[in-house]
Amino acid sequence: MTEHKPPNLPDDEVSTPDSVSRRGFVKQVGGISATSMLGTAALMTNTDEAEANSEWAEWFQGSYRLMSDEEKDEACARLERRYSEEYDKKVSVDSTPAQEGVLFGYALNIQKCIGCRRCAKACVKENNQSRGDQEIEWIRVLKMEKGDFDASKMADGYPDSYGIQVGGNAYSASGVVLEGEHYYEPEKVPEEDAFYMPMQCMQCEKPPCVKVCPVRTTYREPDGVVVVDYNWCIGCRMCIGACPYWARRFNWGEPKLPKGEMNPDTHYYGNRPRMKGVVEKCTFCMQRTRKGRYPACVEVCPVGARKFGNLLDPDSEIRRVLATKKVFRLKAELNTYPKFFYYMD
Amino acid sequence: MQANKQTFTSMIMKNPGSVAIFSVLALCASSVVLAQDTVCFESREGASRVTQKDLGEELKNVKCSDKTGAVLWWGDPFDGTQPMGEMPIEADYNHGEAVVKPRTGQLNLYPICGIACHNGAFPPPVEADTPPRKLTMHMDLVPDALDLQHGNGGIWCLDCHDAKTRNKFVDNAGNLIDFNQPQKLCGKCHGQVYRGWRDGIHGKRIGEWASTGKKRWFVCTECHNPHDVQQGERQSGFAQLAPEPAPILPKGLDNADHEKHGGH
Repeated sequence: MTEHKPPNLPDDEVSTPDSVSRRGFVKQVGGISATSMLGTAALMTNTDEAEANSEWAEWFQGSYRLMSDEEKDEACARLERRYSEEYDKKVSVDSTPAQEGVLFGYALNIQKCIGCRRCAKACVKENNQSRGDQEIEWIRVLKMEKGDFDASKMADGYPDSYGIQVGGNAYSASGVVLEGEHYYEPEKVPEEDAFYMPMQCMQCEKPPCVKVCPVRTTYREPDGVVVVDYNWCIGCRMCIGACPYWARRFNWGEPKLPKGEMNPDTHYYGNRPRMKGVVEKCTFCMQRTRKGRYPACVEVCPVGARKFGNLLDPDSEIRRVLATKKVFRLKAELNTYPKFFYYMD
Repeated sequence: MQANKQTFTSMIMKNPGSVAIFSVLALCASSVVLAQDTVCFESREGASRVTQKDLGEELKNVKCSDKTGAVLWWGDPFDGTQPMGEMPIEADYNHGEAVVKPRTGQLNLYPICGIACHNGAFPPPVEADTPPRKLTMHMDLVPDALDLQHGNGGIWCLDCHDAKTRNKFVDNAGNLIDFNQPQKLCGKCHGQVYRGWRDGIHGKRIGEWASTGKKRWFVCTECHNPHDVQQGERQSGFAQLAPEPAPILPKGLDNADHEKHGGH
């Protein structure tokens, strides 16, 4: 239930026995350090290193959700200073909260998708993921086969060779096996006899990842987006194991983000540069959507298969899709209530 | 400076004859800048294109794919757009601000086609009962007019193009339709798709997600090639295109054979 509480939780939340050890400690240390920080800051100022300065304070930063508005602004300003120095450009870290009366929803036309992967690449251009040999993509596009029912395979069933059996065996697949392929690389898409299944964070209403997080650093925001407070994440990767949609990614090493490719328009919960050892995932492009823009993946889809909008607005595109198309949710039987819908014409 | 460069480039694109004269000027003025111009395609190759521009503070209007040349990121979704223009039936475009990218700026022959060749009197207008013939011009667009890849043999050129005013389309009542509003034409036959497009559930819009927000609507011909919608045996409205590169392989693997099953 905690995920439905407003950002500023009452104090009794902090004083539960479970959380005293960590939060209490950090709070106390934070109190003590307020004075010591002044000294440190003064020393650091002489070295003229904004990065060193802000990193000290960042280490003692509390859980973002429990911060007052002033503390949030401070935290964002601190990050802005650090990122601006690191990436040699003016970086903004936005803290825009969820808008009233907005619940974000997403719909994807699985019939239209051609598997071109522009969404996955647009996501990387927008969201400052790690590049190169530590490349991270939040969207995966699976190529699914339409199946291979062939008279010559009548004897290939498993365990007995009576007719074509779905799945076949390890040496000879038959029927509709639906084993997704990530690494397909044909000259042109869509390929004959294939369809494509893009997957990303479903922004569940009852997110299993939120339930398992031991430090409550991932939670559902009032506009329905499940976010990660990267600074509070301990990198235990419980959420990755809990997510039935393979939506979360882990920074195994120091993220590699070239200065030239860094997108300076960021949000605290969204695309600000991550550090080694934290989990990240799709946020419906929070830095864009909270300011009114479509997510980056919606805008680049060449076939218009991606629809996004406010589920509470009956005139929105997403509501019209839900009202008029054939819609399903992935793994609905898990009762995660995704707000990411698949549909067909 | 930026604006000058744009106009200059588009003049050359539309009027290849003037390249020689302008290239001399270009050498003196901005040949270096010209060489750097990156032109990307938006939905499909051969339709709407966009030139990459700096918007200041390291912000670009678009970012493009190194591999395919497709637009992969929109910094300015309203680049080069204009209001959609009058539409006959009340729909989404009345509630929010609707803009489109004019198609005429993307068609190389458009600026001269109504003056140079099809001026209304010449060539003489065809009669309604003229049998279709092979084209002697525009074969780059329609390689075989007798096997038009649209309508499965049910339609021909003048069902869409006006017989006299060739730089306009024509609707069922004989009214002319501008090239920038192909939706009015396509809606003649594709009524259900047209309704879906008006409601925002067919096709593509970029900009603001709110139902009252400002959006750029992509019009029919930006995604579909009207002269080749059938795509031969594929019978699909959208042409095949080159995909973006696959994600990197998991550490320790040098191929993706593990996800291909036997017999394939």
